[in-house]
Amino acid sequence: MERRSFLKSFGAVAACAVALPHVASAAEEKKSGGPNEMNFETAVAAITGGKALTPSAKVKMEAPEIAENGAVVPVKVTVDSPMSGKDYVKAIHVLASKNGNVRCANIYLTPANGEAFFGTRIKLGGTQDVVAIAEMSDGTFLIAKQNVKVTIGGCG
Amino acid sequence: MRTLSITAALVCFAFLATANAEEKLSMSDADKKMYAELLESNPAEMDVAEGEQLFGELIGTPNYAKMLGVKEKDLPKYIAGFPRYVEPAKKVVTLAQSIQMAAAANEKPVPKLESKEMVKMSAYVKSLANGQKTSIDVKANKHMAEMMKLGQQVFEERRGGRGLSCNNCHSADIVGQRLRMQPLPDLGAKETAAAGTWPAYRMTQSQMVTLDKRMQQCMKNALLAEIPLGSKEIVALEVYVTNKTKGNPISVPSVKR
Amino acid sequence: MKTLIKIKPKTYAAGDIVKIDFMAMHPMETGMRKDKDTGALIPANYIDEVKFMFNDTLITKMVIWESLSVNPLMSISFKVPGAGTLKVIAKDNKGQSVESTTPITPKG
Repeated sequence: MERRSFLKSFGAVAACAVALPHVASAAEEKKSGGPNEMNFETAVAAITGGKALTPSAKVKMEAPEIAENGAVVPVKVTVDSPMSGKDYVKAIHVLASKNGNVRCANIYLTPANGEAFFGTRIKLGGTQDVVAIAEMSDGTFLIAKQNVKVTIGGCG
Repeated sequence: MRTLSITAALVCFAFLATANAEEKLSMSDADKKMYAELLESNPAEMDVAEGEQLFGELIGTPNYAKMLGVKEKDLPKYIAGFPRYVEPAKKVVTLAQSIQMAAAANEKPVPKLESKEMVKMSAYVKSLANGQKTSIDVKANKHMAEMMKLGQQVFEERRGGRGLSCNNCHSADIVGQRLRMQPLPDLGAKETAAAGTWPAYRMTQSQMVTLDKRMQQCMKNALLAEIPLGSKEIVALEVYVTNKTKGNPISVPSVKR
Repeated sequence: MKTLIKIKPKTYAAGDIVKIDFMAMHPMETGMRKDKDTGALIPANYIDEVKFMFNDTLITKMVIWESLSVNPLMSISFKVPGAGTLKVIAKDNKGQSVESTTPITPKG
């Protein structure tokens, strides 16, 4: 009776405490993508029409490396651009590479913005890259990304 | 038997703490800064604005102050002292319960403690005390002293299938150790200002939650039977937990995991 | 739909670039969540378009998806040309639409 109780209580506490920090993987979280389901390749093709994506340090994609939870993940995109009539960022596209619907937002800017910036909070279904694609006035597409580990903290 | 399970718990926590020291499992300062910025445009801000509207319709601050026997200009300091003994109720009540009293006094339907309206109004009324320091006085009278004693008993009582008490995760010697990704907070530290930051927006719930509801959610996760909102035991628990942060600033609503 | 517009910083001059924080109270349902009592799928219900206008000229248009968090925040930059009115029009996939305005008041 005593030994069984000891093991039971040890097991019970262990289930909560000893389990190594759980990093939710995208594979675990995959369910139906919902009514707007679209994968990364399709979404990118819709944005670029097949044109090349150029990784660029001009695009700053800020998201936490470790996210405390997947429901509210802060995200900020800044693109280095004069935002003048001749040279500006036409659009910033934010994508979550492994969400059922990867599309988060398409932001169509104008020189009136003064600065190419977009900030928001997104839902992530699991650990994945958050990607920013900047559509430039000269027709090129720049890309940057940040990997975000979505974690489960505390006791649930 | 009891001793063995305490040891087991401490062994588990110690293991967890050392395992974490080797891998990068905590948020960097840059990450923490991004989350701190969430407070600038808090998802719960609009709920507080609705709370103000609802509270105005229910009773409004002038009559609320009158019911409590307080000058309206002294409301912020008074609110910073909840839970407290309130003469019209002849017992120690939480801020939310005082709002229920206000509804009854004004012959309006009394909102349930669990209701969304009550959470919004609690957040609004508590926000009137923003900037004040938590000033609960557990020595004010015999009622407060009794509730403080009961609260400590509830906090330390081991219950449920795992024989856990609040103390297993929130005692002074456990503080800082990690439960999965979360360092367990010091409920009395100035930086934590624990009870002074509730009601808060809980990201995992995508909604604003009051302190007593949060404690119920904690109990549920620890496989403890939830103590009903408004019961003497949970009010006592709130007295005990709030007293831990006495002297620390009030700032609601905050954003929590 | 309750909304909130914040200009940061609160005080600014013409020519300054400020941040506009726009928040709307919205459940942003993805259409993938199940009602915990009935087990039925909660239909998708999310803000899908936001337009920012300054003195009736469109300065930014957004196409938004259900991936944004509950009570979403949409923040952009704005170069203040002078005094005027900022109007934000937010619409959701159910056709519910709300217009919010705030004055732009550069000092000096």
